[in-house]
Amino acid sequence: MTEQIYTYGIVRTGHRLPSEATGVGNPPERLRALSEGPLTIIVSRAPGGLLARRRDLLAHQETLLALASEGPVIPMRFGSVAPDEDTLRRRLTESPEEKHDALKRLDGRVEMNLKALVVEDSLPTLVREDARIRRLHQESRSRPGYESSLRLGQAVAEGLARRATQAAARTVEQVRALAEAMSPGPEVEGCVLNMSFLLPREREGAFRTAVDRFVAEYRGQAELRLSGPLPCFSFTDPPPRARHRPRASRPSAAAVASERRS
Amino acid sequence: MSTTTTTYRDNITPVPRTGTLYDVIDIILDRGMVIDVFLRVSLVGIEILKIDIRIVIASVDTYLRFAEACNRLDLEADTRSRTVPELFGGAGGGGVVRKAGEQGVKKAVESGEKKTKKAASGTKKAVGGARDKVKSALPGTD
Repeated sequence: MTEQIYTYGIVRTGHRLPSEATGVGNPPERLRALSEGPLTIIVSRAPGGLLARRRDLLAHQETLLALASEGPVIPMRFGSVAPDEDTLRRRLTESPEEKHDALKRLDGRVEMNLKALVVEDSLPTLVREDARIRRLHQESRSRPGYESSLRLGQAVAEGLARRATQAAARTVEQVRALAEAMSPGPEVEGCVLNMSFLLPREREGAFRTAVDRFVAEYRGQAELRLSGPLPCFSFTDPPPRARHRPRASRPSAAAVASERRS
Repeated sequence: MSTTTTTYRDNITPVPRTGTLYDVIDIILDRGMVIDVFLRVSLVGIEILKIDIRIVIASVDTYLRFAEACNRLDLEADTRSRTVPELFGGAGGGGVVRKAGEQGVKKAVESGEKKTKKAASGTKKAVGGARDKVKSALPGTD
């Protein structure tokens, strides 16, 4: 009988399995290592009825973090289940150079994620400085009503998002030098920036300090939220250059953010 | 009489070092290596997890709340007070604005949740719908 296998991450063969790490499921599944030559994948039995529960999301993340303390790990996306062991072994041995490159790239690295959210504190400044909002405000006062309120409110919401986007872009420009790579995260409602940074583990403190300075500086413009260290989820693919796909330049944070808002 | 000191701290589920799950759920769900023949666990429930207060940023209720806050700004200016806490619900009747705002947000979230329960994939539609409504309510603002 074949049994589905839940996958956590790919490591080098010989990677020590941390004793405290456990898998997804309730009770947590036992972790084991499947090796094919120099590559090993950390797996467990796939528990029946697995969903994206808080407990399981955390188990996936914590297992990968524990593994990363022993050496480089290529994190699998949450919820990846191999249909059987043979398929898993076959896939593990496919394009080995790519996997070795990734392990090398991620060795000793962590992912930090920076999100910027819109804040409302700058409303008085915005109304004072933005001519269009002032005009809509006047209109709303002279002809009060649902439609004029909506018009004004929408202009304000856009203005606040613009201010947050600017603060986020400036922050990214100032801290990106500390990172080796950046990768925009998925779109998140309410966020004008969602950016992941890859950096050497020992630089985490410096990065945090650098971001903290902007958290304070831009308090009235954006709420900057830094998370990490995370498993290097956002950096499993080779960087664009290595794929020989010519690209003029990495899009700036502002461009990414504005793309996102449109 | 027992003199044993019990520390409950150890029994509390440890807070992950990495900050709240809330802040990184998008990364855990949408990033990481994908191998095409692998299945993905059913993600029923994901949409509900993703629902959060941030969704109302795009909602009509928020627009109306901002408009109200702008009007409140005039009153505050009249009394020569412009501090933000007052603007959003401190002294001088600002509390009414805040209360109204919060109720609006709550309502929007509640209705958002209901919609999600009806259709798990409805999140983006709901936001898109709200945007469309705003657009159609505002001809000529594009």
